[in-house]
Amino acid sequence: MRDRKRRTVLIRSLCGLVVVGLSLWSTQAIAQESENPFTGRVDIRMGQGQFESRCSTCHGLEATGNPEGGGPDLTTGRFRTANSDSGVFRVIRDGIRGTAMIGINPDASDQVVWQIVSYLKSRSPSLVAGDLPGSPVTGQQLFAGKGDCARCHIVNGTGGRLGPDLSHIADRREISELRTDLTNPNAEVDPRWWTLIVTHNNGAVIRGLRMHEDSFSLRLMDPEENLRSFSKSQLGGLERDKRSTMPSYAQSLTTQQQDDLVAYLLTLRREQ
Amino acid sequence: MTRGTVLLALVISVNLIHAQEPTTLEDGAPFFSPVTWDRLVNAADEPQNWLMYSGTFDSQRFSRLNQINTENAATLELKWAHHISQLDRNETTPLVVDGVMFITESPSNLTAVDAATGRPYWRYEHELPDDLRVCCGRNNRGVAILGETLYMSTLDAHLVGIDARSGSLLWNTEVADYQQGYSKTAAPLIVKDKVITGIAGGEFGIRGFLDAYDANTGTREWRTYTIPGPDNPDNRSWAGDSWRTGGSPTWITGSYDPELNLVYWGTGNPGPDYNGEVREGDNLYADSVLALDGDTGDMSWYFQFTPHDVHDWDAIQIPVLADIEIDGTPRKTMLWANRNAFYYTLDRETGEFLVGKAFARQTWAEGLDENGRPIRRPNMFPSAEGTLVSPTAGGATNWWSPAFSPRTGLLYVNAFDGEAEFFIRDEEYRAGDRYTGGGTDSPLPIDNYSSAIRALDPTTGDLQWEFPIKARSRAGVLATAGDLVFSGSVDGYFYALDAVTGEELWHIPLSGRMNANPMTYAVDGQQYVTMPVGNVVYTFGLPD
Repeated sequence: MRDRKRRTVLIRSLCGLVVVGLSLWSTQAIAQESENPFTGRVDIRMGQGQFESRCSTCHGLEATGNPEGGGPDLTTGRFRTANSDSGVFRVIRDGIRGTAMIGINPDASDQVVWQIVSYLKSRSPSLVAGDLPGSPVTGQQLFAGKGDCARCHIVNGTGGRLGPDLSHIADRREISELRTDLTNPNAEVDPRWWTLIVTHNNGAVIRGLRMHEDSFSLRLMDPEENLRSFSKSQLGGLERDKRSTMPSYAQSLTTQQQDDLVAYLLTLRREQ
Repeated sequence: MTRGTVLLALVISVNLIHAQEPTTLEDGAPFFSPVTWDRLVNAADEPQNWLMYSGTFDSQRFSRLNQINTENAATLELKWAHHISQLDRNETTPLVVDGVMFITESPSNLTAVDAATGRPYWRYEHELPDDLRVCCGRNNRGVAILGETLYMSTLDAHLVGIDARSGSLLWNTEVADYQQGYSKTAAPLIVKDKVITGIAGGEFGIRGFLDAYDANTGTREWRTYTIPGPDNPDNRSWAGDSWRTGGSPTWITGSYDPELNLVYWGTGNPGPDYNGEVREGDNLYADSVLALDGDTGDMSWYFQFTPHDVHDWDAIQIPVLADIEIDGTPRKTMLWANRNAFYYTLDRETGEFLVGKAFARQTWAEGLDENGRPIRRPNMFPSAEGTLVSPTAGGATNWWSPAFSPRTGLLYVNAFDGEAEFFIRDEEYRAGDRYTGGGTDSPLPIDNYSSAIRALDPTTGDLQWEFPIKARSRAGVLATAGDLVFSGSVDGYFYALDAVTGEELWHIPLSGRMNANPMTYAVDGQQYVTMPVGNVVYTFGLPD
């Protein structure tokens, strides 16, 4: 939560730099065929207010999604149904037919919709790394060498399976978050990477990474990378270790090396 | 006699003949006959049918059917599935009348199918404007029936009467102006010759009400506002003019006691949801249950669960009516597991508070005082920097139905132990726009929390057993005389539990999310259990 807020501050300081290409969408509205004309800081602030008022019930006050209601996270920089500012405009204006996403109140002006687009853009990960102190080239060497990161992480098809795929990590993590990930990996552990310790009714104890768990069953990857599926009725015990399996690099890497590694990770993003 | 008059007379005589005929045809198939007021009052006596949203006027969502029971539930199998072409959340509880099932579909459509096969008779599509104002998806939760007419709420805040045999529109009444933020999603409730129906729009600064309409014509008979006007002393529970935009909607179906002639209905949040600074006071009658005269709508009593709510804890739960003994004395009670995480037993004749206890994780109150009023903890109001509170805005439970089994004496509730950060912000009211004054965020991924089916003793509020499921389920509960409890999970399981012990007896993975209540019925001697999952309505039964 706190990281999110810090990220917001950081991103807002960079937001004016973001410019997007022309709309690929064929629409009748002239406004939707144009670039967003409302991208200033004031527009972003106005858009935030509009978003909080009109959109936050389903998408969360900070646009990070509502896990109860199912409204998706809008801060990842990627949308399932739009790949441009004008596409996002269209979705906000018209909704997505057949889903719970309804169009904005027609009384809302195009300016209001564009301002919401600008706000969402400001919440997306920055396209600009900024003045990083580290070297991405050195960072890549550390990743494969001293850091031993590739043992657990896949990047572009190469690496281990015992941690998250980092091929596009910069699409979803900011500089400060990546630094925290390196030095304090337990700060924010996605439930996908918890460790489950299951005790089978036959007495066997199996540990593994939590691939999926539901009301009646679970699936895990054991240390030999076998995919195992269990009905909870088969189990005499179930523990969830919510700590990360990743070691902290706070001591094993120097501050400069951490900066190098972060600089490398920030190069890992989809082509825009 | 004109040709039209002859035709009308012929139709009436055919209907009368139908009404007098036995309820089965020669081949044993059930035969649709008009649903009289007497049939509705005695709905529990014909458990093969499901004649109203909660099954019976007491809203126990309990069926006397016991063909499917603890001995054979493990053999349940799919009988049929009905696909809905819309992807919106599917929140319907179907009705079944003499072998015909009526299913509402998103956004405001209705279809009739053969309850034994799921194959269609007809479909009604309600034309909607493009500029709807709905807070939480394009949903509809079901219909009511009287005679041969079905009554349905629509998202553009209309009430429609539809012919049950053909699906034809009989009348279409505007209940409120949708462009001001009003909408309708709940199944109406029949009381004698009237259709009782509520309103949604608590996130748009509406002024809530409960209405009654003539079942034949759709003409409004009475309206009771859920926020009293200036001529009522309770209006002073709102600072200044804040009552005009105070919300207090009525967006779920209520209950009815024919002996007391009282309609019971829950009310939703005061508006704006999170900013209580602009509406100081208790904000009556938001977050309350109202007891209204069934003929006039006059208020007999009210009980407010959450005075001056700032967490969006609508008292939009189904009022469950049950006659039970409290401290050795028989009482006509109302059982209520509230979104604010407290369970209540009230005397439904007087509104007296009898029992109260937390049934789910909560951090906002020390408990309830002797009158059932919450004793608030300090510093739990929403703030600019965020205030962590349990339960979430979605609540410890919500609109999905609980169930009560007179056989076990237990109330079964789908409960959620969650937490959220609540934020406040300034917001001006603009007609037709959202008006919430804040919002919420989840501090952790949802997998850090859990839901459970909890069995509560209504005489004490004590937990008897619980069955944990993945957070957060949005499914209601059904109890049956087979001593089964049915419900669904957010991860797509439909399941049956032993009503006495909570032991799991059967489950089936169906993949889709469940946002509705299970119901049961029988056709030609075979019991079925129906559950909407994703955008499919599934029906299960025992092997042939």
